This record gives sequence, C-alpha cells and structure tokens, in this order.
Amino acid sequence: MNVVVLIKRVPDTETRIQIKDGKVVTDGISWIISPYDEYAVEEALRLIEKYTGKVTLLCLGPVDAKETIRKGLALGADDAIHLNDPAFEGGDASTTAVVLAAALKKMQYDLVLAGKQAVDEDNAQVAIRVAELLDLPHVNSVIKLDLSDDKKSARCLREVDGDRDIAESSLPAIITAQQGLNEPRYPSLKGIMGAKKKPITDWKASDLGLDPGTIGASGAKLEVVRVDPPPARPPGKLIPGDAATAAKELVRLLHEEAKVV
Amino acid sequence: MDFSISPQHEIFRRTVAEFVEKEVTPRVSEMEERREIPREFYARMGELGFFGLRYPEEYGGAGADSMMFAIFLEEMARGYISLAAAAMMQCLMGTNFIYRFGTEAQRSRLLVPALRGEKIGTIAMTEPGAGSDLGAITTRAVREGDSYIIDGTKSWITSATRADFFTVAAKTNPDPKAGFKGIDMFLVEKGTPGLSVGKKIAKAGAVASETSELTFNEVRVPAENLFGGKEGFGFAALREMLNEIRVMTGALGLGLARAARDESITYAQQRMAFGKKIGDFQAIQHKVADMEIEIELSRLAVQYGAWLIDQKQPCNKEAAIAKLFATEAGVHAADEATRIFGAYGMAMEMTPQRLFRDGRFLLYGGGTSEILRNIIAKEIGI
Ligand SMILES: Cc1cc2nc3c(=O)[nH]c(=O)nc-3n(C[C@H](O)[C@H](O)[C@H](O)COP(=O)(O)OP(=O)(O)OC[C@H]3O[C@@H](n4cnc5c(N)ncnc54)[C@H](O)[C@@H]3O)c2cc1C
Repeated sequence: MNVVVLIKRVPDTETRIQIKDGKVVTDGISWIISPYDEYAVEEALRLIEKYTGKVTLLCLGPVDAKETIRKGLALGADDAIHLNDPAFEGGDASTTAVVLAAALKKMQYDLVLAGKQAVDEDNAQVAIRVAELLDLPHVNSVIKLDLSDDKKSARCLREVDGDRDIAESSLPAIITAQQGLNEPRYPSLKGIMGAKKKPITDWKASDLGLDPGTIGASGAKLEVVRVDPPPARPPGKLIPGDAATAAKELVRLLHEEAKVV
Repeated sequence: MDFSISPQHEIFRRTVAEFVEKEVTPRVSEMEERREIPREFYARMGELGFFGLRYPEEYGGAGADSMMFAIFLEEMARGYISLAAAAMMQCLMGTNFIYRFGTEAQRSRLLVPALRGEKIGTIAMTEPGAGSDLGAITTRAVREGDSYIIDGTKSWITSATRADFFTVAAKTNPDPKAGFKGIDMFLVEKGTPGLSVGKKIAKAGAVASETSELTFNEVRVPAENLFGGKEGFGFAALREMLNEIRVMTGALGLGLARAARDESITYAQQRMAFGKKIGDFQAIQHKVADMEIEIELSRLAVQYGAWLIDQKQPCNKEAAIAKLFATEAGVHAADEATRIFGAYGMAMEMTPQRLFRDGRFLLYGGGTSEILRNIIAKEIGI
C-alpha cells in the first residue's frame, strides 16, 4: 500500500522564539518535523512494516525544508515530494491546503496521514481542508489506527471529552495523528546515512497547474498584521499564615477576586 | 575550506542528543549510585547502531566517518561520561583489533554480536607497573606448539567484569631493549582457564564505567589469537589506533565542557547575590566566555583531527593537540562550573561535582597531557 504523510517544518519546540518588528526572527532557529507529523510518519512506517508498500513524504516549505525532509527519510520513508516554490510562500492554511491537494491529485495513495496540527501556528485545519478539496473522508486526532484485513477501511480510536470514540472510514482517507498514537523511533544511523540517496522530487506551482494568483501570499485570506509575544504572566500570590487562616483567605480570594467559586 | 556540517551529521547529532535526554539523563543518578551501567544499555545502543558506527555494513555496522563518531561521543559525554566511556571502548578499542586482524570466524562470533550490544569487548594494556610507559609491561606471551601461554597482571581494565573478549597486550620479545616494539596483541576470551578478573577499582570519577584488575595465569590461547598472525607486529597496529583514540577522547572532553557551560549559564541566570543575578557580574560572565572559547577551539581541533583521520593523513601532532586541548577544556570548564555554583558546586545532588569528578577520567587514557606534550614537541623537532 502507498501511504503519503504530510509533514511540516517547524521551529524546534525548545527554541526561544524572538520577535522583532512584529515578526518572528527565523535566523538561528533549528527546525524539526512538527511533532504530531512525527507520529504520522511513525504510524506510516509501522503500517508499511506490517503490510509492505511505500511511504512518501509530502512537504510544502522553503528551500531549506529539505533538511527536515531528510530527517523523515532517515526515519525510514522511501521518498519525498518537496513543494518548493517561492510562489507557495506567505500563504495561509487555505492556500497550503490548495497546494497539497493539487499535489495529492497527481499521486497514488491508499491513505494520507498527517499531524492533527502543526505546532508553530496551531491552525489544525490544513488536513481537513485537503480532505474537503479532494472529497476524501477524514478522521481527526486519532490515537489508535487499525486497518481491515482487506486494507479497504480503517478503524480509528479518538479521545472525545474524556471518553472514547471509534470512527470507521473507507480508504483512501486522510487521518490525522494525536499524541499517544505511537512512540516515534529515532532514525537509525544506517537510515541517516541512507537518506541522502533517497529521492526528493521538487514540484513547483507550474508542475501542479496552479495559478500563482490563488496560492501563497496572493491567495491567502489571512493577513498577519503583527506578532506579539504573550504578555508576561503576573507573579503568583503567596498567602501567608498557618494552614487554617491561609485556606480561609484563599477561599475568600477565589470567591471575591477570581470569582471562580 | 569548508566548515559546514552535512545534514546527516546534524540529524545524527540530534538523534544522539535525544537518546541522551530521554533515556540516559533520567537514569544518571541511579547509575552513579549502583556504580554500573545497566546491561540493557548495551542492547539499546547496539540497536540504535551506535556501536557499529565505524564498521562496515557486512558486520552490522554503518560505515560512518570519524566526524560522525566524534559527534556521537561528544553528545554522549555531554550527558554522561561513564556511559560515553563504556561506549567508546565498545566502538573502538574493544573491537578494533578483532575487526582489523581477526579471522572471519572470530568476527562473526564476537564482532557482530558486540556491535549489536550482545557481547562486550575491552582492551587490556595497562599494568600495575606500566601505564604511559607501555614498553615496560611485563605480561609475557610465549609460543608453545600451536598455542601461546600468557602470564601477567593488568590493571584499570574497563568493563573487565562483564567483558566477553579481551584484546591483550603482551610481550613476545622480553628484551628490555625492544621496549614498545616487543609488544604483540592477543585475543583472549572470557572463560579461558587461568584468566581471572580481580576486584573492581574504586574510583572518584566515571564511577559507573567499571575498571578492574585482570590476571593471566598460564592462559593458553590458540596461535591464531595472535593479532596480525606474526610476532613483532602488534606495536605498529596499536600505534595506528592511537590517533583515533586521542581525537575521540578529545570529543569526550568537548562534550563535558558543553555540559559544564550549559549548567553554568542556567545557574548564573537564576542565582541571586548582592541584589543581582550572579550572571550579571562580569567575573562570572568571563568564566563562561572562557568556557565558550575553549569549547569552540576544542571543536575545531577535534573536527580537524577527525578529518585528517578520514583523509588517512598523518596526524600524530594534531591528534595529540585535540586530545590535550579538549580534555583540558572539559576539566577546566567543570572546575569553573563548581565555582560558579558556589557551595552547590560540591552538592552531590547537583551536576557540577560529577562533571568535576568525571573530567579526571579524560586525563589518563590515550596519553596524559604530559606525554602528549612530549609527542607534540617531538613532532616539531624539539
Ligand atoms: C577510568 C580509567 C579507565 C581505564 N581503562 C583502561 C583500559 O580499559 N585498558 C587499559 O589498558 N588501560 C586503561 N586505563 C589506564 C590508562 O590507560 C592509564 O592510566 C594511562 O596509560 C596512564 O598510565 P598510568 O596511570 O600508569 O600513569 P603513569 O604512566 O604512571 O604516569 C604518572 C604520571 O607521570 C607522568 N609521566 C609519565 N611518563 C612521563 C614522561 N615521559 N614525561 C613526563 N611525564 C611523564 C604522567 O603524565 C603522569 O602525570 C584506564 C584508566 C582510567 C583512569
């Protein structure tokens, strides 16, 4: 079976994000595969180990996203498509989905996996939009995925409001990964060394027959006016005194000031 | 001239760093307490392909270059010197002879499982009476028919209590004039009659990487266990490995220095004195700046050494410099970290005291700083 995994390059979650002139400073940031996408990659690899087939990574990102793609190949994916064109840049979730959907139209797949959201902008909508554009079924935030014996349908477990929900879908479908789906592996040294020989194909807007006016910054419906760091949290309040008086004071504050009880 | 690092090397660095953060760091205090490395670490590191880094794929290795090896050791040492030391033994000194000179049967019986972490190999050169002056060892190997009989005592042997096979330095030519050149290297397997492992040596640093004495009492090994197949060959083979040992020990020093620097920065930004963060005092800033200078220069020296090894160029001087400078940088940074931490620098629940103790380990094997200076001086003709 062919599994396509949508991966996004995001700043390392350990990075201290700097903001200058209303924009995120990208110099010196180290980049990773978005953690939810890593679950998707891992799940794809496990499926292929079980059922045989091929894992293809699909990534929209600037030229140097290649390094992040290589990491995915080092983990064990077979090949990758890099949607690499300045025309794609400056877009939003909707234009990203348009480009990804156009790319998927050119590909053969039995299943598309993605992270439930990318940890940079946390839009949590790209995969859903892609599914809509391609008229594919879609299951979001999955923590367990099983395929039927004939590989024609998927059984997905999700956590919903503290309970569990089981969704069944025909395939092909777009399924997104939630934390808990699996524990991603480290790339093996052999995988890392072998990754440089695996093919990464570049596709541009023209390869996808896309009108540059509808994608990237020109197609985006969302305009980022400015980015500000979250305001510093006010310091916590220490309530002095012995336990009995402190507890009384705490209740009073929760009631009168915070108005939560 | 190109100082860039390939994406493969970067990905590997992160992989090792992640392994250290997730699987090693949480268990450091347990290992310090038990003074041993849980056996499962060997299997895990074998599984991740770490031990086979430098060996070809046919033995289960990855055929990576020295730069990759240096990155591995640096990241390991940044996390925990004891484990880094045991791993380096398994990747290099403990398995190198069997790879280079072992028979095919020995390789498949010992090397292949060692790279998977299922068997452990170590090297036994040092003796109670001879360390730097290896030519002064007294362990003897005497040919008797199709065998060699080995007699002698070794000390400071890493992982000896659990090793499955030993690469042993013994004199085939006892003439004192032959010195270093009278040494040959032998394969001795665990369980060979006459081989006994003595008690563990209690030590101040690298405590979880065990070291013990080893005695050979008429230990008989088949003649094919003489590495290289003929007498008088061993010392040159040993010499060939020395530069790699030195550069890679430098990589351990670099990792230790980074750990000390990172600890220092975090602490200096929190600890208050005289109404300021101690990191606001220039005296503290300069200590950290000095660490950074030595880290960057160590990195250059180690990478240059690794590159020369890969280019198969002579590098006696460069390897000696890399080991000397980077291990001293590690020791220096750890010392400064214990000062920046004030009394907490000595507190057993904090990290700097361990870095301070562990740093000492780097100063001896592969040549002491004094011996390395001798080599550097000799290399430049003085
Ligand atoms: C944790 C640990 C693990 C080890 N593991 C192993 C192992 O697995 N296998 C193994 O074979 N060995 C091992 N060793 C031993 C190590 O290789 C030796 O410690 C090293 O070779 C130095 O020898 P020495 O300790 O006998 O010091 P010595 O040679 O006795 O040196 C003592 C001092 O004299 C100085 N000195 C000696 N000669 C000169 C000279 N010509 N000029 C100037 N100064 C000189 C030295 O620099 C040093 O300061 C280990 C050591 C440690 C600490």
